[in-house]
Amino acid sequence: MTGVVGRSVEAITGALRSVFAAERIAASDGFLQRRDPRASLCAVAGLALAVMITRTLAVTLLLGAVTVALARLSKVPLRRLLARSAVVPLTSAFIVLPQAVLLPGDVLVEAFGIAVTDAGVSYVVLFTLRVGTGVALLSLIVVTTRFSSVIAAMKALRVPVALVWVIAVTYRYLFLFFDELQRLVLARNSRTAGRSTVRGGWRDVKRIAGTFLLRTIDRGERVGRGMRARGGARPPSPYDRTRTVDGCDYALVAFAAATVIGSWVIRWGL
Amino acid sequence: MGPVIDARQLSHEYPDGTTAIRNITLTIEEGERVAVIGANGSGKSTLQLALGGLIDTSTGTVEYFEETTDAEDVRDRLGVLLQDPDDYLFNTTVREDLEYGPAQLGMPRQAAARRIERLADRLGLSDLLDRAPFRLSGGEKQRAAVASVLTFDPDVLLLDEPLGAVDDRYRERILELMTAHEGTVVLFTPSPDLVPEVADRVILVGQNGSAVADGPVREILTDGSLLRDHGLRPPTTVQLFDGILDADAVPLTVSEARKYLSREMR
Repeated sequence: MTGVVGRSVEAITGALRSVFAAERIAASDGFLQRRDPRASLCAVAGLALAVMITRTLAVTLLLGAVTVALARLSKVPLRRLLARSAVVPLTSAFIVLPQAVLLPGDVLVEAFGIAVTDAGVSYVVLFTLRVGTGVALLSLIVVTTRFSSVIAAMKALRVPVALVWVIAVTYRYLFLFFDELQRLVLARNSRTAGRSTVRGGWRDVKRIAGTFLLRTIDRGERVGRGMRARGGARPPSPYDRTRTVDGCDYALVAFAAATVIGSWVIRWGL
Repeated sequence: MGPVIDARQLSHEYPDGTTAIRNITLTIEEGERVAVIGANGSGKSTLQLALGGLIDTSTGTVEYFEETTDAEDVRDRLGVLLQDPDDYLFNTTVREDLEYGPAQLGMPRQAAARRIERLADRLGLSDLLDRAPFRLSGGEKQRAAVASVLTFDPDVLLLDEPLGAVDDRYRERILELMTAHEGTVVLFTPSPDLVPEVADRVILVGQNGSAVADGPVREILTDGSLLRDHGLRPPTTVQLFDGILDADAVPLTVSEARKYLSREMR
């Protein structure tokens, strides 16, 4: 598995592990880092909601600019934020791309009997930008706030415990899942000579898929026991990391609320 | 002083048909220092999971503190350290892993913080607190895992090979922490050499998963044929003095051997 598949596993695992590097950003001094996690969570959720509501390019671009401004104020490298947020919108763009020719509208380009319409292009661009901005906002909260603080904030905000539980466990298991895959690939590579072709790589994937599944289940069970051994059967209970809510926190939440209302009014009117 | 763990007829068979432990009955009293020894694959880790209430055994029951058979009721009083630190450290930073147990089990934050600071200092983790556990070396992970089980100060420690990849310096410190622990300590290890330093009582698990011997450390560890029959060897000092000294005079540890030799050589 030294070929494409092996490299893909490395890349995905590396990307996931970069979340740990993000913990260093969360520990640094920046605008969102100084905010009470409850305020950050509410504000970012509000801005993301505003993005979901809007169907206007200008509003989406404005919210994108707000996201970039928040990232700059929070000392989050834009390149890193872009790298973390790019996969989902690009995948979305690929999925909605056929709309560029399916939606009726003025024809922009026509080739081989297929017409690309202005309405179709607008739809694809707007959809991709909305997804990208939403994901960037969620990445921003993950990058600037320690995960345990996010969990503590969700608990403080009385988010249903089942949802908090699912998020906490998923977050932990995601890393273990890819960690296990990387171990498996490393173990295989250490006893494999030469470089494999793409076809050979896929053949290897078929071979290790079953083992990987069993190992993941087994590891999941063992980590589950590790969690239970330290009270993991009880609802997630990180130490409360919230601090005193100050004027900036209120201002941020108020700004987010205003964007939600503004986005609502622009779309549906009063 | 009563039993902290009272296990009756524990047997466990894994879904693939492997019988890991077979009809084990044992009682561990408050404050006891017990070593459960056995060869690889004898079922020590399964027994630890069963005593820690982390698996539902095929048969048998475990009663804790004469109060309950549900380990979750007394989870804050049981410190179960799993064999593989990678199974035990799952948080984003070492600090969060050390906080996990105290937070989940309702320990006041200030008390936990003080304890974490002390343990981190003792186990050389102070500079590693903000590191991701997966980035640590094997020995560092092991130390972090040991610290994680000690942070919430449980009454009973059930430790499965806690010294696995630890270097000599921290091995001593972990042994000191185990010795200083005021509650009950149950150590699961395949290494008889370690036992005299920690335990007063030994339970030997045979290769068929049953408890084949249970008694004082000296009685079990000086019985070379019993140990060999079950895939183990006596401690190095016992082997050294085998046939030279009677079983009741054989030094069980290096320090005892040093004392004996210096006395004899004077």
